[in-house]
Amino acid sequence: MLTLLAKLLKALNSETGAWALAFAFVLGMMIGFTPFWRVHNVLILLFALIFRVNLSAFIVSFLVCTGIAYLLDPVFHSVGSAWLSSESWRGVWEGMYSSPWWRITQFHHSITLGSLVISLALAPFVAVGSYFIVVNYRLRIQKWFLKLKIVQALRANKFWAIYSDLRG
Amino acid sequence: MTKQLRQSTIRWPGVGAFFIIIALLVGFSFLLLDTIIKWTLESSLGTLNRAEVNIESVAHGWVPLSLTVSGVQVTDPAQPENNRVVVNELRGDLDLGELLVGRVIFDQLNVTGIRVNQPRRSPGEVYTQLTKDEVSQAASERWASLKMELPSMDDVMAQVDLQTDIVIERAKTNLDEQKQKLKQTRDALPSSEQLAEYETKVKELLDGDIESATELAARREQLEALKARFRADRDSVKAFKTQVETAKEIVQSDISALRQAPEEDLQKIKSFMSFDATGLENITALIFGEQIRSWSKYVLLAYEQLAPMLQRADDNTEQGPLRGEGVWFTFMEANAPPEFLVRNAVTEFAFGETILDVNWQNITHQHTQLGQPTTFQARADNSAIWDSFNLTGEMALKDNGFDARQQWQLKGAKLNDIGLSDRAEFMATMAATLLDSEGSVAVRNGLLDGDASVRLAELKINASGDSRWAELLSQALGKLNRLDIRTEIGGELTAPTLSLNSDLDRQLGDALRSTATDAAQTKLATLQQDLTAQVNAVIADQSPELAGLVDLEGLASSKDAKLEDLLKSQLEDKLKDKLKDRLLKKIGGG
Repeated sequence: MLTLLAKLLKALNSETGAWALAFAFVLGMMIGFTPFWRVHNVLILLFALIFRVNLSAFIVSFLVCTGIAYLLDPVFHSVGSAWLSSESWRGVWEGMYSSPWWRITQFHHSITLGSLVISLALAPFVAVGSYFIVVNYRLRIQKWFLKLKIVQALRANKFWAIYSDLRG
Repeated sequence: MTKQLRQSTIRWPGVGAFFIIIALLVGFSFLLLDTIIKWTLESSLGTLNRAEVNIESVAHGWVPLSLTVSGVQVTDPAQPENNRVVVNELRGDLDLGELLVGRVIFDQLNVTGIRVNQPRRSPGEVYTQLTKDEVSQAASERWASLKMELPSMDDVMAQVDLQTDIVIERAKTNLDEQKQKLKQTRDALPSSEQLAEYETKVKELLDGDIESATELAARREQLEALKARFRADRDSVKAFKTQVETAKEIVQSDISALRQAPEEDLQKIKSFMSFDATGLENITALIFGEQIRSWSKYVLLAYEQLAPMLQRADDNTEQGPLRGEGVWFTFMEANAPPEFLVRNAVTEFAFGETILDVNWQNITHQHTQLGQPTTFQARADNSAIWDSFNLTGEMALKDNGFDARQQWQLKGAKLNDIGLSDRAEFMATMAATLLDSEGSVAVRNGLLDGDASVRLAELKINASGDSRWAELLSQALGKLNRLDIRTEIGGELTAPTLSLNSDLDRQLGDALRSTATDAAQTKLATLQQDLTAQVNAVIADQSPELAGLVDLEGLASSKDAKLEDLLKSQLEDKLKDKLKDRLLKKIGGG
């Protein structure tokens, strides 16, 4: 875990593209918020591995968002149930339900649909927000951050050793 | 920046990594498929059952596609220390083609070694149900209603409001009151001397000579004045007679009440010494209730176990807040085939060494789509433990609720050593009996409605207990040879209620009441003697008074008669004749 955090910090402090990090956070969030054993997560994984998305940020985002998902499950369930119960959408759901391909996506599961919808809705904001934070971190926060006494103290421990090793 | 530009957008090694990861996941899943299915079944069946479900092992086969589940234990949510159902093995052949399009269709399902109401090694987890304490408390309350002591004579005497004393007191008061009233009315009666004087005066008026019409008129006037006094006196006599009659009636009534009072008090004491009737009404249910409830689990197995699970499987509104649970919505078209269907199943129930096969058709929760109900039949004759058994039924989950019916006939079931009560205060075992039962039960809108008869012949019950009531109960049960129990089945599908009644309630009630009375017989006899002696003393006082009243009535009648005669006295004709004679003599002489 420390290695993973060190890698993330290294990525933040390196010249890795800010968008690569931002997309990593978005994809990690989506796979973290939605139930793991779903077809769309295979696609997200494929996307994260094929494109130059920062994998450390992706994994950290996934782990953090999985934890948050436990708190948000009631919200996901409510949103998914409300949509799946909507009479105006019934025809659409029935059409999809009768198709084996759509059934594989498990769209008719309240938490799956709710979490996916909320993830997609949050994706642009998380992407832009992450990009903004990464850029500003590099411009302003990084130097100030490294001067903090607590960071100075940390630099003397194991975590910093791992980080230094990674930097080569 | 320069380095970034040189890099391709596609990370080609990532493609390899992706396939490696997917291959690892597939391989991992493949290796742990049985464990995953086991966890999934335990979780989903547990949710449907609302209590822990344990599965010993799961094995799958690819050709043909099949699933074998062994050692299934389904915790009873009402009694977590028991399994409501235990299944030795469940094996089903899946239709691969249907599975690919998302439908779970079993062509054949065989379930062996089904037993109900079996103890667990450790209590199962209950998700929502009555606590053990609440269940235990309810059972204790039922026994507490019967566990009563024989009332002692002193207790009863403290409770009974004896009427003999009150009747004696009332008789004495009434007698004094009537005596007082009689005295007042008697004082107003004409005395014998007065009556004799009246007679003399009337005689003088009627018999004397009359000289003139003027004298005749004067005598008439005197007679009328006398008659007015006679009438007044006769009114007094009548008032006295009425009072005497009233007093006589009251005294007679009091004497009659006095004679009855001791017997009525004794009857009241006896009734107080008997047991509370409401407690006795439950004896059949108390003694046989648990066992019949246990048997009913077999009879209602299809409803109690399968129906709620099917209902919950069809329930889209159920909340599932846990991670990964949620709710699976169904969007089936009316003519679409069901998503879950067991076309044929054989469930093998075990009753000790005897096996009963129940054949099922069309097990599903989507009967509307299927257009047919789930049906089941079982028939087994000349088995080791019964002569014949026949069960048929059907059930369907429709838009308007659960709809089901079933009927059964069981003849000559030989039962031995069936525990009825293992409580320290009362132990009872049905050592042997022959059981016949038949009945039917239907379900409408989730409510059970049915009745059944349970006939126990060649009955032999061994019972014992330390307390007096347990001893009495044991004696009464020991004498039973045959018992017919009528059972009514009602309540909700998920919580059936059984009401039992039989002749046993009356038989035991009579026996217990009689014994309670016998125990106090000596004291009752003494009490009866005391009460009778008290009453006899009062009656001895009252009887002469009653005789006196009869004499007074005679006296009043004689006075009344005499006054009546006096009132009938006629002056006119007699005196007129005398006056006429005198006038004729004067005319003739002149």
